[in-house]
Amino acid sequence: MKATTLRLEKAIEIALSGGVLVSGTLLLAGLASGNQALLRWGVVLLMLTPVARVLVLTVGLLHERDFVFGAISLWILAVLASGIWVSVRL
Amino acid sequence: MNEPALFLALVGAGTGLVGAMLGLGGGVFLVPLLTLALGVPIRLAVAASLISVIATASASSTVNLEKGLVNMRLGMALEVATTIGGLAGSIMAALLTQRQLFLIFGATLAVMGAVMALRSRTRNVIADLEVEPGRLGGRIQEADRTYVYRVRRLPLGLVFSLVAGAISGLLGLGGGIIKVPVLNAFCGIPIRVAAATSAFMIGVTAAASAFIYFGRGDVALPMTAAIAVGALPGSLLGAHLSHRVEARSLKILMAFVLLMVGAQMAYKAL
Repeated sequence: MKATTLRLEKAIEIALSGGVLVSGTLLLAGLASGNQALLRWGVVLLMLTPVARVLVLTVGLLHERDFVFGAISLWILAVLASGIWVSVRL
Repeated sequence: MNEPALFLALVGAGTGLVGAMLGLGGGVFLVPLLTLALGVPIRLAVAASLISVIATASASSTVNLEKGLVNMRLGMALEVATTIGGLAGSIMAALLTQRQLFLIFGATLAVMGAVMALRSRTRNVIADLEVEPGRLGGRIQEADRTYVYRVRRLPLGLVFSLVAGAISGLLGLGGGIIKVPVLNAFCGIPIRVAAATSAFMIGVTAAASAFIYFGRGDVALPMTAAIAVGALPGSLLGAHLSHRVEARSLKILMAFVLLMVGAQMAYKAL
């Protein structure tokens, strides 16, 4: 595998681990304390974790000058963004 | 954590474990369990399941990426179809009756299960390393050997990914229950790569729908949080375990899950 792809996979791994760790901690703290705000933020951060992973992938691919898959990744990001947009207007 | 939360966390851990092993996310077990056994309204169950799928997908992908099992480019190509399907499915959720949904879904799964069972001995790998994997294919390490695999029938994979996305939005699943068998049985992808790539994708598929459910106020916070808290360690364990299990055993487990869930969905519809 290309070294750049391996670096990109590592960056995605870090983004996913970070999202899982932070949201998991918030959810656990929220459950222990009964704090609804912590639970809400935990869920929101968990939902944003895949978005962060697509964002990292998009930047990485464009940086690698892989424009075909960079464009595909941008498209996925746009679909996710439209989901967020619809959700805040509901 | 109180007792119901502990129980839900254990449920999340169990579904996360099996889901991560098979690249499913675990929604196929979670939605029936929440609705039928615990009497949770379907929309709240779907929302909780979508969040749990995100937890399972994100946690198991950290392991699968490290082991080099995720085919990112193939996953992205299929994600285009899946995310559109996911968004459409969550918006359409009110249009179809639950009976129609269960019937279509149950029949699809039963057919997939039969195909997987019949093909459990078929390998999708090529031992000759001189063979070019192509742009979307790749290499996989099993025991001490490296194999090549090539992607076949991509358009079929894309069509099924669209359907999987729509079903994800409608039923709160990651869509892996459709993608993994299709990728393995029809597109030439080894089961471990199919499961890891599916797990990589389903977090995004579920997120596309989850925001809509969250915006509608369908996410019941303590219940969803407890399930997700269990799903995180459960899926990490599942991703580690799947590397120790033989490919054929994974396929048989997958066929069993498909037939079981398919029969259960069809039974509910009749």
